[in-house]
Amino acid sequence: MLDAHIVKARSAFTIDVALRVERGASCGLFGASGAGKSTILACIAGAETPDGGTIELDGRRLYPPSAPLHERALGYLTQDANLFPHLRVGENVCFGLPAPERRVRSPWIDELVERLDLGALWNASVRAISGGQARRVALARMLAPKPPLVLLDEPFTGLDRHLVRALLAAIGGWQRELGFTLVVVDHDADILARLAPRVLAIENGRTIQDGRWDELRMRPATPLLERLLAPL
Amino acid sequence: MPIVKNPGSVQEKAGSGAKRRTMLLRRAAAAFFALALLYPLAGLFVPVGAWRWGDASTLDAVRVSLVLTAIAMVVVVAIGTPMALAIARATPRERLMWQAVLLVSVLVPPLALGILISLAFGPHALGAFLDRVGLKMTNTPLAFVVTQVYVSIGYYMLGAIAALDAVPEALRVQAGLLGAGRWATFARVTFPIARLGFTVALSLAWVRALTEFGAVVVTAYYPAGMPVAIWTGLENFGLPAVMPLLVVFLLTALPLPWLAHVLAQRRIARA
Repeated sequence: MLDAHIVKARSAFTIDVALRVERGASCGLFGASGAGKSTILACIAGAETPDGGTIELDGRRLYPPSAPLHERALGYLTQDANLFPHLRVGENVCFGLPAPERRVRSPWIDELVERLDLGALWNASVRAISGGQARRVALARMLAPKPPLVLLDEPFTGLDRHLVRALLAAIGGWQRELGFTLVVVDHDADILARLAPRVLAIENGRTIQDGRWDELRMRPATPLLERLLAPL
Repeated sequence: MPIVKNPGSVQEKAGSGAKRRTMLLRRAAAAFFALALLYPLAGLFVPVGAWRWGDASTLDAVRVSLVLTAIAMVVVVAIGTPMALAIARATPRERLMWQAVLLVSVLVPPLALGILISLAFGPHALGAFLDRVGLKMTNTPLAFVVTQVYVSIGYYMLGAIAALDAVPEALRVQAGLLGAGRWATFARVTFPIARLGFTVALSLAWVRALTEFGAVVVTAYYPAGMPVAIWTGLENFGLPAVMPLLVVFLLTALPLPWLAHVLAQRRIARA
């Protein structure tokens, strides 16, 4: 279970959000740009350090004190694939595996390769692949060590619709299979709803509503949230 | 049937001719500049009398310079790399302070540095203690190596810090979240990405140390390395005696940094 209370000062406001997600469950963070959603995820990941609060994952304290990144046991995927440029696609995917497992492809890695269509790219330089391919490689790399918590920060931005659909289906399937806890940030309510039945609406660093999507759509807590949820 | 000229194509031809002339002019200017820049090397072909090859002191100077500079580089890398890492990851305030200290070591004039090292490690300061434990800091290989470390470590560290800065923090975060500890992240991500920058930094430090004259001539006149041997040879025996050593000097000082910089530029051009 993820049990977090994040306090983080920003220039315009202070983020103060509590978040509890049961083991294997999903939660979406929804709100306008600059509401503090990505900062919350970065604090849980350890990419940023909160100014206060607590973060616990399955009973382990991640903050405070700030646990080292390599002891956090979580996957974190952002808009930038952040692939290691000196390694090939296959080496990137297997980066998080123990040394002996990097040499021989396990059935799990084969499954990732097949579902994400990475077979033809396996030996390619990451400098030579497209943005969409890089995002698939990053997803495979993140899932390869089977993390108990997965954090997705708008990982589908700029991707083709059909690729987004395929990735959403794959992530949903793997979550059921592996049982990881999932926290997702996206500005697209449709994408978020596909991955997380429960959502926290964030405005200026505060939770303004916590519930199911139909509840949010029926009774949005603020006019801004209503506008964000309105169809184009 | 009337012949209608296409005015656009005439203009295009005129434009491309002007472009070609500009390009030729630019290339000619660049070639002239390159020749002027490399012109001092023509000095190697000026007749100065028969070169005296195989002088025992020449070989000694080459050995002293190469062996002791190599030892100095080991010290520079061993101390400079972890320090550069610490500075690159420090808070902006700490980093500014450290870089100011490094700049002082880089900017002190070599002759002044040699005199200061002699005094600071002399009998009225740290030298008295060093003497008691059997370490002599004047005209010894130790003095030579210490001086080279002082003159070159700032260059190495500034280059190493710049190389580390070029590795995006997001990659280190990803490596950490994928289970790599600090050392593994450095070995598997940071260093492989920054290694060319480290090579350039080391090559600069190598040249700085190998070619150092002003500081070394004060602290370690003996054992004479190549710069001091060239100077004393020129003073005592004239050009024919030092020309062979000059050639060896150039061959040992130039290739490593030259290659490192060319490779770095090639990588920049590819990116």
